[in-house]
Amino acid sequence: MPKCIIDGREVEFTPGQNLIEVAKSAGIEIPLFCYHPGLSVVAQCRMCAVEIEKFPKLQTACSTPAVDGMVVKTQSEKVKQNQKSVMEFLLINHPLDCPICDKSGECDLQDQSYGYGDAYMRTSEERRTYVDLDMGPVIQKNMNRCIHCTRCIRFGDEIAGIREMVAIQRGNNTEITTIDGRPLETDYAGNYSDICPTGSLTLKDFRFKKRAWFLKKTATTCEGCSRGCAMEMQHEANMIYRCIARENQAVNKYWICDEGRFNYHYVQESDRVTEPAMQSSGSLQMSVWKDSVVHARNALQGRKVAILIGSDLTLEEAKLIQQFVPGKFPGAPIFHFGTPGIVSSKDDDAADALLKRKSKTSNLHGMEKLGIAGFSGLPLGIDAVLVFRGGRAELPKLAGVRVVGVGVFKRPDAEKFEAVLPGTAFTEKDGTIVNFMGMEQRLKRAIVPPRECKSVSEILMMWANL
Amino acid sequence: MIVKNKPGLFQRFYLLEALAGLKITISKIFKKKVTIQYPEERREYSDRYRGMHYIKSVNGVENCTACMLCPTVCPAECIHIEAGERDDKEKYPVKFEIDSLRCCFCGMCEEACPKDAIKLSNIYEMSQTTREAYDKEYLMEQRGHK
Repeated sequence: MPKCIIDGREVEFTPGQNLIEVAKSAGIEIPLFCYHPGLSVVAQCRMCAVEIEKFPKLQTACSTPAVDGMVVKTQSEKVKQNQKSVMEFLLINHPLDCPICDKSGECDLQDQSYGYGDAYMRTSEERRTYVDLDMGPVIQKNMNRCIHCTRCIRFGDEIAGIREMVAIQRGNNTEITTIDGRPLETDYAGNYSDICPTGSLTLKDFRFKKRAWFLKKTATTCEGCSRGCAMEMQHEANMIYRCIARENQAVNKYWICDEGRFNYHYVQESDRVTEPAMQSSGSLQMSVWKDSVVHARNALQGRKVAILIGSDLTLEEAKLIQQFVPGKFPGAPIFHFGTPGIVSSKDDDAADALLKRKSKTSNLHGMEKLGIAGFSGLPLGIDAVLVFRGGRAELPKLAGVRVVGVGVFKRPDAEKFEAVLPGTAFTEKDGTIVNFMGMEQRLKRAIVPPRECKSVSEILMMWANL
Repeated sequence: MIVKNKPGLFQRFYLLEALAGLKITISKIFKKKVTIQYPEERREYSDRYRGMHYIKSVNGVENCTACMLCPTVCPAECIHIEAGERDDKEKYPVKFEIDSLRCCFCGMCEEACPKDAIKLSNIYEMSQTTREAYDKEYLMEQRGHK
């Protein structure tokens, strides 16, 4: 393998890698703003300029591929002076409203101002300001904070496949905006906030909810569709505040769609059934575990039962149900359900050019691995159904049969159920899901289940023992 | 080893000790007094004294932008803020509560505040008959002179 020397250390690289990546592999950090590994290189911010021997001027590390025998200095006086100058230049028009800004605490500009900038400002002129237009329901724009890195423009162009962000005007007056001030159309708009190195594009959903440094982070997997994008849950005091994409080159690279990003909301919605409930005097009444489990058992006693497993459950839960439940209902057929019209993995196809899949549940392919058949209508003679559901799978129409629900249900959906035994959603359990490529991925428990919610194994144990 | 210092008969009478005590009392009566008659008389406290909190406001608008630096540094975790947005201010505290029962009056919140909003006044009489936390309206009364 070819080698180059960075800060006196010999670093191996694969041909074609740029200096930022090579330095990163050796643990050397080069500050940057406009470079993003998932986007094209424009070398616009000049922050990553490094000194290379035999080159008369500084070279931007993002646009310079490493060459065998290259000698690079990232800590020389010349480089440091350049970084200081770039920082000062960028901050001339930055409003420095970190106390208000949602990005503060995780802001590249803030971090690098501390690391490489000067502590004092030499200008006293008035700062350039803009009037901001609304950018749709996902993104809140604040152009005053922008440093013109153009990551958002490149993201729309190259990844989301829609050229909606543009830079108008020139030089000092450059403004990043949507064409004609239209709201953003892409389904991947949340990524604009993730890649923005300043607080120019922030999530409306997360606006002023929590400061970034309070959030605890749990690496998990999205349950929004059968792709299973790597995702990071950010939570504090048993409340989820935000989801952001995590890097996984094999599945989602650096991106995540808005549907998956905001999917977690149902977990802490107020209409979720979080206490055991049973049908009494014509409506669903909150009860205690013992009464509800006994009521549910009696409701299915002596009837022809079918078992429906939501394909949003983990492999572990589905296996448990598959092993223990048929013993209680001999001869009961087991089906998995999830998305209307998607019965087996053959129906599951790409829903758009980037990430989304047609199956809106994460574990369709895992269910097939366990040999569970897809649901396409109740067999004849069935008059009761036991439904296990993780919260995302869409309930099929079950008219004229008795239904007992185990898992996560919204109150309006469960109003006609005989009993509801509240279970855990994907943020509240550990487990494995299988995505459409056959890759096994982990769900990680981020928060504690609310109120009375219990895991499937606990509910099955109560069902057997009470 | 135990040393027994057994007083004699004359010492046990305590007359000498009582007289020695009285001597101090009488000599102090005619000197300058160190105590004060508290509710009527008050001591002057240093300008840096850390007493009851208040949120500084200018023309009725609170200086606070709900940046959450004070709850971040607070070692007693007694400050609770909820941020919101309104027409004349991009970010302001919808809720600002200080649980003075938990507060240890270290003054770190005052030091961390980038907007000169949370202040500790000179007021040290804070006894209440209820255990309620100070809410925003209460804290917005301009108490101090700092």
